[in-house]
Amino acid sequence: MATASKPAAKVATNGATKKAAPPIDDEDSHGLMGASGQGYSWEEEYKRSWDVLQEDEQGSLVGAVNSIQMQMKRRRLNKDTKVVQRGIIRHLYLVIDLSRAMAELDLKPSRVECTLALAEQFVAEYFDQNPLSQLGVIITRDALAEKLTELSGNPTDHVDVIRKKANREPRGEPSLQNALDLARTSLAHVPAHASREILVLYASLTTCDPDNIIDTIDALRRNEIRVSVVGLSAEVQVCKTICKETKGTYRVVMNEGHFKELLFENIPPPPIAMAQNMSNLIKMGFPITRNFDPPTLCACHHKPIRKGYACPGCSSTICDIPTDCPVCALTLVSSPLLARSYHHLFPVDNYKEVIPGPPLPDVLATTATPLAGHCFACLQAFAPKAGASNAALVGLRSARYECGRCMNSFCWDCDVYVHEVLHSCPGCVNR
Amino acid sequence: MKFDLDGLPILFPYDYIYPEQYAYMRDMKRALDQQGHCLLEMPSGTGKTVSLLSLIVAYQQYYPEKRKLIYCSRTVPEIEKALAELQRLMEYRKSQGMKEKFLGLGLTSRRNLCVHPEVSKAKWGQEVDAQCRNKTAPWVREMHKSDKEGEAANAPALCNFFEALENAEEEASMPPGVYTLEDIKEWGRENGYCPYFLSRRMIAFANVVIYSYHYLLDPKVAELVSKELSKDCIVVFDEAHNIDNVCTESLSIDITRPMLDASARSVTALSTRIDELKATNSEKLLSEYSRLVEGLRATQESRANEEFMNNPILSDDMLQEAVPGNIRRAEHFVAFLRRFIEYLKTRLRVMHVVAESSTSFLQHVKEITFIDKKPLRFCSERLGSLIRTLELTDLAEYRALQTIAAFATVVATYQKGFILILEPYENDMDTIPNPVLHLSCLDATIAIKPVFDRFKTVIITSGTLSPMELYPTLLGFTPVVVQSYQMTLTRSCFLPLTITRGSDQVAISSKFEVRNDLAVVRNYGNILIEYAKIVPDGLVCFFPSYLYMESIVTAWNDLGMLQEVLKYKLIFIETPDAAETSMALENYRMACDNGRGAVLLSVARGKVSEGVDFDHNYGRAVILFGIPYQYTESRILKARLEYLRDNSKIRENDFLTFDAMRHGAQCVGRVLRGKTDYGLMVFADKRFARADKRSKLPKWINAGMTEACVNLSTDMALAMSKKFLRSMAQPFEHNQLGVSLWDEEELRRRQEKEARKGEVSGHVDFGTTAMEGVEVAG
Ligand code: SF4
Ligand SMILES: [Zn+2]
Ligand SMILES: [Zn+2]
Ligand SMILES: [Zn+2]
Ligand SMILES: [Zn+2]
Repeated sequence: MATASKPAAKVATNGATKKAAPPIDDEDSHGLMGASGQGYSWEEEYKRSWDVLQEDEQGSLVGAVNSIQMQMKRRRLNKDTKVVQRGIIRHLYLVIDLSRAMAELDLKPSRVECTLALAEQFVAEYFDQNPLSQLGVIITRDALAEKLTELSGNPTDHVDVIRKKANREPRGEPSLQNALDLARTSLAHVPAHASREILVLYASLTTCDPDNIIDTIDALRRNEIRVSVVGLSAEVQVCKTICKETKGTYRVVMNEGHFKELLFENIPPPPIAMAQNMSNLIKMGFPITRNFDPPTLCACHHKPIRKGYACPGCSSTICDIPTDCPVCALTLVSSPLLARSYHHLFPVDNYKEVIPGPPLPDVLATTATPLAGHCFACLQAFAPKAGASNAALVGLRSARYECGRCMNSFCWDCDVYVHEVLHSCPGCVNR
Repeated sequence: MKFDLDGLPILFPYDYIYPEQYAYMRDMKRALDQQGHCLLEMPSGTGKTVSLLSLIVAYQQYYPEKRKLIYCSRTVPEIEKALAELQRLMEYRKSQGMKEKFLGLGLTSRRNLCVHPEVSKAKWGQEVDAQCRNKTAPWVREMHKSDKEGEAANAPALCNFFEALENAEEEASMPPGVYTLEDIKEWGRENGYCPYFLSRRMIAFANVVIYSYHYLLDPKVAELVSKELSKDCIVVFDEAHNIDNVCTESLSIDITRPMLDASARSVTALSTRIDELKATNSEKLLSEYSRLVEGLRATQESRANEEFMNNPILSDDMLQEAVPGNIRRAEHFVAFLRRFIEYLKTRLRVMHVVAESSTSFLQHVKEITFIDKKPLRFCSERLGSLIRTLELTDLAEYRALQTIAAFATVVATYQKGFILILEPYENDMDTIPNPVLHLSCLDATIAIKPVFDRFKTVIITSGTLSPMELYPTLLGFTPVVVQSYQMTLTRSCFLPLTITRGSDQVAISSKFEVRNDLAVVRNYGNILIEYAKIVPDGLVCFFPSYLYMESIVTAWNDLGMLQEVLKYKLIFIETPDAAETSMALENYRMACDNGRGAVLLSVARGKVSEGVDFDHNYGRAVILFGIPYQYTESRILKARLEYLRDNSKIRENDFLTFDAMRHGAQCVGRVLRGKTDYGLMVFADKRFARADKRSKLPKWINAGMTEACVNLSTDMALAMSKKFLRSMAQPFEHNQLGVSLWDEEELRRRQEKEARKGEVSGHVDFGTTAMEGVEVAG
């Protein structure tokens, strides 16, 4: 094998020369650091404002600010004002993720603080807008789920547990399945005329489940429980699936303001499916207010109270309504509460925007109101004529919105106020 | 939708078209018109296949030549996807009132097509092939036909599906239509025909054939399957970024000691058979002898459908020649084989690395064994003839011998572009010898040249073909159209980021000298942990090699970093074992679905990086840990580099970078499989920041890589990633679809505008022009 060894020798030397430096030329020039004006995470806040605020062609910010507001307005305008059947008696479990992911600082001051503060606001607003409804709070951490409050109609109970220090410490991993199962079993006894909902505030991107969560989804669907999730960091497939399957909504927050917006989107009651709409009459009691001197123990919490209600069914003493009577299980409400719930069922129609410019006189002519040049509600004058040059200003201040029923015009601020707070059109009411 | 492309009416089975699809079709049409080859890089997830099919089908149906389309794809799932698209397209054309007699079908191996109740149960492809060949070999069928008592009983049972097909007359063909693999199996089962042989026969009549690369590139198979294709066929290689490797691999052969032992046994068996035959029926051997004198042409014609012997090369001049005298007689040939095998055995005994050219190898063969080049060249063909004459029925046993014969033929046929390397040890550190003799093809042009020569239009396309300049040189052809398209997007649904240093500002790199530095290992580990924290569902990581992956994962484990990752996601690891990997993948997918989240650690040149899609939640981010350079110590690679430098003027560094970047692009391209999808692409190596690397990425990826994201430290990258993931989670605003989608109306407007602009500019960049005021409802 003399010849065979010859080429071998050649390769051996070959290998030796090449081995050290595989022919990749990769030395890098220095100057990696600070080469670009890239910001650090704490500068994110600063950057974010610039994402939104952009100067318009004239270099003015007014237009930009304006367009943000317009965007909000448009979003609200898109809101459905059709009269749909909504379940004004709601039962909702608020599930709060208290896992380690909540300790992140990307929402100010921290995810937990931000979430819990908003949760408090949510509870208050929820009962304000849904006086006949009930709510319960569940947290999940350390791969477990814990029910902090049972379903009840008393906002202070919930706010109290949310404020408790022990319930504000994030740790471990969340378990979405445990939380959902716990909420589901707690909602199981809810009567058919009430909606069953779960709202999850979820920071984590993972879940630590004992079992296959897909089974839970099936169970939720069978029990007609609607699950909505507000994600705090990014889109997680399983949440998407759950919400889609249970006809809830799934949104992910961009920042604190957006978080609030998304959370509060869950305050108006969701429309109910026709199939669910079985029972038409619900027995309700309207309890009588009573003063006690000396204080008496209430039947629901065994706390001494001076002022309370007496159940019209069994005369037991209740400290607050709305609730179910702890003795005879009668639903106890008051008529103002019922009335307040009404606006969800009959929302005020959206006002139409009146395009300023030449057609303006015609509009004026057809409107019978003497104060046609003013907002019907606040009497502020509209800009006399829209010049094309300061369209931005017109858009901001003097846009006119007209009620389709009473044909009165309103300014932008009043429009928002009517639709978001008042829930009834002053023009229509006055007629 | 229906539109007109430079005079060619096109039916497109969707209501909207992406601007880049339109540009793609237009460029492709140009190549077809000019009857030239082209090279097109089209981003993944932009409906490449459907545009391609719509255009070519429109083309072939509109012009009288009816040029046949040969569409080559790489894997069976890809073939099926293409067939399904074709089916959809043809249904649409039919619904639009086109009355066409159209046949489209796919071809794959027997394993996927066999319907024989027993044969189809075999696990391995080779097993199915072997069993089927036993049932369909002409002499076996002959035995059954002649119905000699003893013989028929001993011979393997025939396959009725094959018999039925053979007995059917030539035109007993299938009704027109598009058949997916499942369809053709179904049809075959119903009509009692073998789907595999049926498809092979129908290739001649089909308008569109979709099959794997090998049927065209691997000379062994191409000869049998694709011989009859006419010159004006349109050939498409899809997912062709790796085509040069497919070419070289198809001509490379490895020989090991067990193979030699098996061949030696086969040779003995052969000689016993010859002796038997001599005693009983010597005419057969005689007639074979006389046939061989006449030359191969005659033999060639006599065998129509057989495939029992794969001949690696059969050049035309070889067909004219007679088989050399010294191997014409069966016993001489057997002795010849034995000598050759003995020679190879002695070669494998050498205990050091040997590398030599085929010429020097042949010379050495001649010196030692007196075997000439010429008989070696005929080795394969001669063995085939012998097997036929001896009427062997257990062909599987002869596989090793067939490989040896193929080796002989290849080594004797090509003097240039090949190298022989003997490696006595599998790894340089091993002490137990496990010698392998590699016959490596270094020149991709050898295998693909016949294709370019034969067909007028060859279209090479893929999602990642950058840097495109190299392909024409590597493959030896001149394209008439070279184009790379951008992705028009209403939202930037992917974010490429280059991380050059850790949060501690230490540069990171998988470079050999620094890759084991604690700081680098730790920084890489931190990237993994942090991304595991912020990326929802699936996260895919790629390492340059198994070796590196192993070492760094061990290091992470020692540092406690894997435990940290496990808090957020499960970890799955790709291994060289295919079954294990596919199981890991399955579990990975499950974890991505049920919210647990998972990390997949895989290797840039592994199976995962090539064939597996990580769409939507299965891959929200890809991290490339280091640049996936090839293992530069590999002797075969070194030889190839040298060859490329000397013959193609491609510098080693250029080729290595090219190769690394195309694999890198392939890996990151896995996350994005459509415009509704989104994902992060993280390049974690400081070398990625250099312009020479970046410029080699596909144009569409480069377009997404702004200055702000090329030179980041880990924390900066994380901040950007978080923001990206948040904004991608926002509901997709549909009314913006107009930017990246055109409907029929808009397309017409565009075309008019372009026409008005005049034929002056020639090319309008459709990919980037923004468009005003078109809203797409819903
Ligand atoms: S002829 Fe067809 S059906 Fe029969 S064994 Fe071969 S592949 Fe299977
Ligand atoms: Zn009480
Ligand atoms: Zn009562
Ligand atoms: Zn007003
Ligand atoms: Zn009104």
